[in-house]
Amino acid sequence: MTTTSRDTRDRQAVGGRSALTPPPQPRPRQRITTRARVLVAAAVTLVFVAPIYLMLVNAFKPQDKILANPLALPWPPTLDNLTKALSRPDNLIPLGLRNSLIVAVISVALIVPLGSAFSFYISRRSGRVKAIILVALSAGLMIPPQVTLLPTIRILTWIGLDHSYPGLILANLGGGYLSFAVFVYVGFMRSVPDEIIQAARLDGASGLRIWWQIVMPLVRPATATVVIFLTLWIWNDFLNPLFILGPLQGQTITTGLYLTIGQYSVDYGQLFGIMFLAGVLPVIGYLTVQKQFVAGLTSGSAK
Amino acid sequence: MEDRRAVRKRNSGERGLALLAALALGLYVVFLVLPLLLSLRSSFTNENPLKAQNDFIGFANYTEMAGDDQLKASLTFTLILAFGVTIAANALGVGFALLLNRTSLSYRVMRTVAFLPQVLSGVIVAFVWQTILTQNGLLNTALVKIGLLDEPYPWLGSPHAALFSIGLVVTWVMSGFTTVVYLAALQSIPLELHDMASLDGVRGTQRFRKITWPMLAPGTTISVTISLITVLKLYDIITVLTGGGPANSTQSTALYIVKLAFTSDRVGYASAVAMLLLGLSALVALTVTGVLRRREVSL
Repeated sequence: MTTTSRDTRDRQAVGGRSALTPPPQPRPRQRITTRARVLVAAAVTLVFVAPIYLMLVNAFKPQDKILANPLALPWPPTLDNLTKALSRPDNLIPLGLRNSLIVAVISVALIVPLGSAFSFYISRRSGRVKAIILVALSAGLMIPPQVTLLPTIRILTWIGLDHSYPGLILANLGGGYLSFAVFVYVGFMRSVPDEIIQAARLDGASGLRIWWQIVMPLVRPATATVVIFLTLWIWNDFLNPLFILGPLQGQTITTGLYLTIGQYSVDYGQLFGIMFLAGVLPVIGYLTVQKQFVAGLTSGSAK
Repeated sequence: MEDRRAVRKRNSGERGLALLAALALGLYVVFLVLPLLLSLRSSFTNENPLKAQNDFIGFANYTEMAGDDQLKASLTFTLILAFGVTIAANALGVGFALLLNRTSLSYRVMRTVAFLPQVLSGVIVAFVWQTILTQNGLLNTALVKIGLLDEPYPWLGSPHAALFSIGLVVTWVMSGFTTVVYLAALQSIPLELHDMASLDGVRGTQRFRKITWPMLAPGTTISVTISLITVLKLYDIITVLTGGGPANSTQSTALYIVKLAFTSDRVGYASAVAMLLLGLSALVALTVTGVLRRREVSL
């Protein structure tokens, strides 16, 4: 697109200052622009997070104060909204959090060994079959879940696990989540030197042992990425729990909010209290593992 | 003696790994490949859970789609939303990344905050925005109070405003993602390139056009593709915000499929529409990735 001749022309047009002139020293005006820049960035960020700010401060305000000024700080703060949300007779928050935790932890704990063992096994092989299987697996990243939802429920019915937690977890294991795990692991396992594996093999280590004791420690960043993102996605999943569990099996935190919240739409205090309790865990999780989080996204998008 | 035992142990370990790999592949086949095939098969039937018997009806579902106005409206809505959100979220992402691409603490805090919308579930995001946008919500209350509006505006209650509102909320969520991708892409630009540019006196918009933007190309490819696919299959935010209303005006194709399958019990037809959505996603993903990849090379 940009040809060399055009580049030179532009350079000549702009280059009043030759390449030998020293770079300009910072001037007072630049210090002012630096400060203005922080202010602009802060203002934009504030507007951007306003909805989350609203959720945070209004969880600690009574209804009348929310309507009077939703942006005001909660002073004096009240814990009424939170205690009311926690003492609901339907146990929405404690049950929802517990169910989401069970589903997310068991699913991820099973996807990690399955995905990484599969990736290790297939990355040591070559040829067309491997290529086809990997393409088929990465297609799973793109398939809209609405396409496979109904047949998945039917398959679960055949094996007697429809409308159950084991059924939901089983469906999580085989779907697009596994594709994501394989996608990440295969990328990382390419960089594991073959010599290490050959050496271990000569020492008499089995494939299972090489995978678990040598490869897994080497691809720990991949495991971090897989664990963090899959936990978040499965925790936040809405469509699968809504239809695979159905309304009678107790709710995960997302479906629970959806199915019970309508009646509270007028009481903003209640609503913000519930939202705060439902959202605070993933946010705390994100803030603790933030570095790996961004690293995972970055390495994923570099490929 | 010793040797043979070691060999046997190794063989069982070999089989163990193959078994785990086969289990993973088996799960994928049973819960992704098989459902896909079943869905395809069902799209050629008049399957309906209320009926005892289902018949193959050839391409009747597919020809019915051609005259289905609800489907056409849903496709229009979905495509406008997908491309609108993708453009807005990527423009915002580039701008935000350029603004926050500094190392001091205050910028690091802002970067952390910018990703927060991605962490919350779509259900929570939609409920919080609903309290803001609904008829007697926080936005209308504020606008009426300061006199900018005489009466509450139906941000979610009229077809065009609802499309705009959903676009706004989804853009807000996606921008967290695009910002992080573009920040990573910005940080992968070699510093020497910028040094050379400033020695040559290239700065401001010209520097952005000639250096930064071309160097962002790989980030753009991934960010645009993922934005598009995400919106094409989006379900939770729309369901909570409007449920597809008013008058089906915000019913995306994903919502329409679920409604056909679970509310109208028209499983066969729902499968055919699902195949259309699948084809559309594949087409969009492949063409957009293809075009953007070629652009990466030519830049």
